[in-house]
Amino acid sequence: MTTHNLYFLSAIGIFVGVLLSIAAYYYSRGRRSPQVSWEELVKKLTWIDRNTIAQVALDLVDESGEPREAGDAANLEPAELWKLIGGLKGLEALETNSDVLIDLAFYLQQWYPEALVIAERLRLDARELKWHVARLKGAAQTGNLQISFPFYAQRAVVSYYLMTRRLLDLYQAVNFSMLAKLQEAL
Amino acid sequence: MHLTGFDLLFWAAGFIENLGLLFVLWYRRRAKNFPFFTALITLNVVRTIVLYLVLRLGTKANYFYTYWSLALLDTVLQLCIVYEVASRVFRPTGGWAREVRGSFIWLVGLSVTVAFGLSWLASPPARTWAQSFVTKGYLFAEALMSELFILMMALSISARLPWRTHVAKIAEGLGAYSLISMLIETGHSYFGVGREIPAFVFLSHVRMAAYLACVSYWILMLWRDEQPGRAMTQEMRETIFTLQRQVEYHLHQLRSRKKL
Repeated sequence: MTTHNLYFLSAIGIFVGVLLSIAAYYYSRGRRSPQVSWEELVKKLTWIDRNTIAQVALDLVDESGEPREAGDAANLEPAELWKLIGGLKGLEALETNSDVLIDLAFYLQQWYPEALVIAERLRLDARELKWHVARLKGAAQTGNLQISFPFYAQRAVVSYYLMTRRLLDLYQAVNFSMLAKLQEAL
Repeated sequence: MHLTGFDLLFWAAGFIENLGLLFVLWYRRRAKNFPFFTALITLNVVRTIVLYLVLRLGTKANYFYTYWSLALLDTVLQLCIVYEVASRVFRPTGGWAREVRGSFIWLVGLSVTVAFGLSWLASPPARTWAQSFVTKGYLFAEALMSELFILMMALSISARLPWRTHVAKIAEGLGAYSLISMLIETGHSYFGVGREIPAFVFLSHVRMAAYLACVSYWILMLWRDEQPGRAMTQEMRETIFTLQRQVEYHLHQLRSRKKL
């Protein structure tokens, strides 16, 4: 066997190995995900006081998600915000919950494939939320957490609040039987 | 060209299975949903008849030109099926989602590069330049197809798009068949091409057996009904399209922010 052939066969071996690993991983993931029941998904949600979330979010935006007028917005004090949100740990819980909210939207998508756009919207909100939390983690490392927290944390909460609203609206729109339980969990 | 009894058996089995699949596609009304896939199976049926007649009645040159014209059409149809699968999986609401579209274009670019790299590395023991080019071309096409179908499956599952449908079964079958064909083309690149080479004949039989298994899988899966989706109300449809516009707007904002 020539060196060139050895290179060729090694490249093919790596190529097939990588493709088969990708196929096996995603195929098993695709088969596994629908088996997770709705109840199991809801159980993954960390309990967060929805009234607090609404209070923090509605300080910055109105119920439809539009920013409030300059004089009417951001009335909460930084110390109060920290207490209401629960600091960085509270934001991390929102981050984890945002992934579960996306899974809940996808759960519904199994019956209503066109609900894909709602799921996309939730993913976008989750990205925004994670972007704000990442900024705060960076600020914590450089010792600027106190200065940055009110700005980014409140916007992260707004993203989470809008996600919960969109998900509830989606479940309501399709008259999904688990709406009451979802409202309770959120 | 001398054909053994085994060759003829595979040929006849392939023809009957393709006819069976074509029957399922029309009888179960799948053909209108998958026009390119139906066209490919129809081509396979027509090709078997035409090549058999040309082999019996035509000259060697007739067979050569007919074979390669149909092979070219086959490759074009397979690329059309990639588009058919992608458009059905990645735009269930009628428009390509920007996020998925970007990933898909990136995925196609990567697949072409890797397939080109592999075929460039191959050095088949061919007698002529044309034979070497054809062997490399086949390797490129099969590597590209297997990559596209497997990466499309990965992309749709990671984006959690509906995958357990008829279109997924078509993609899975073609992905598996392309991967096996690519290994066979690797064998051709290593051992050489020609019916006087025992490894070539053996690999051709393996390819035919893999194709028969693949068609049997499609017959079974396309005969079965897929999980029915529920119809959306007009109100919900309107809400979703409004949201789609909002998604695009926010995505634009996010991207501008990233650039800062």
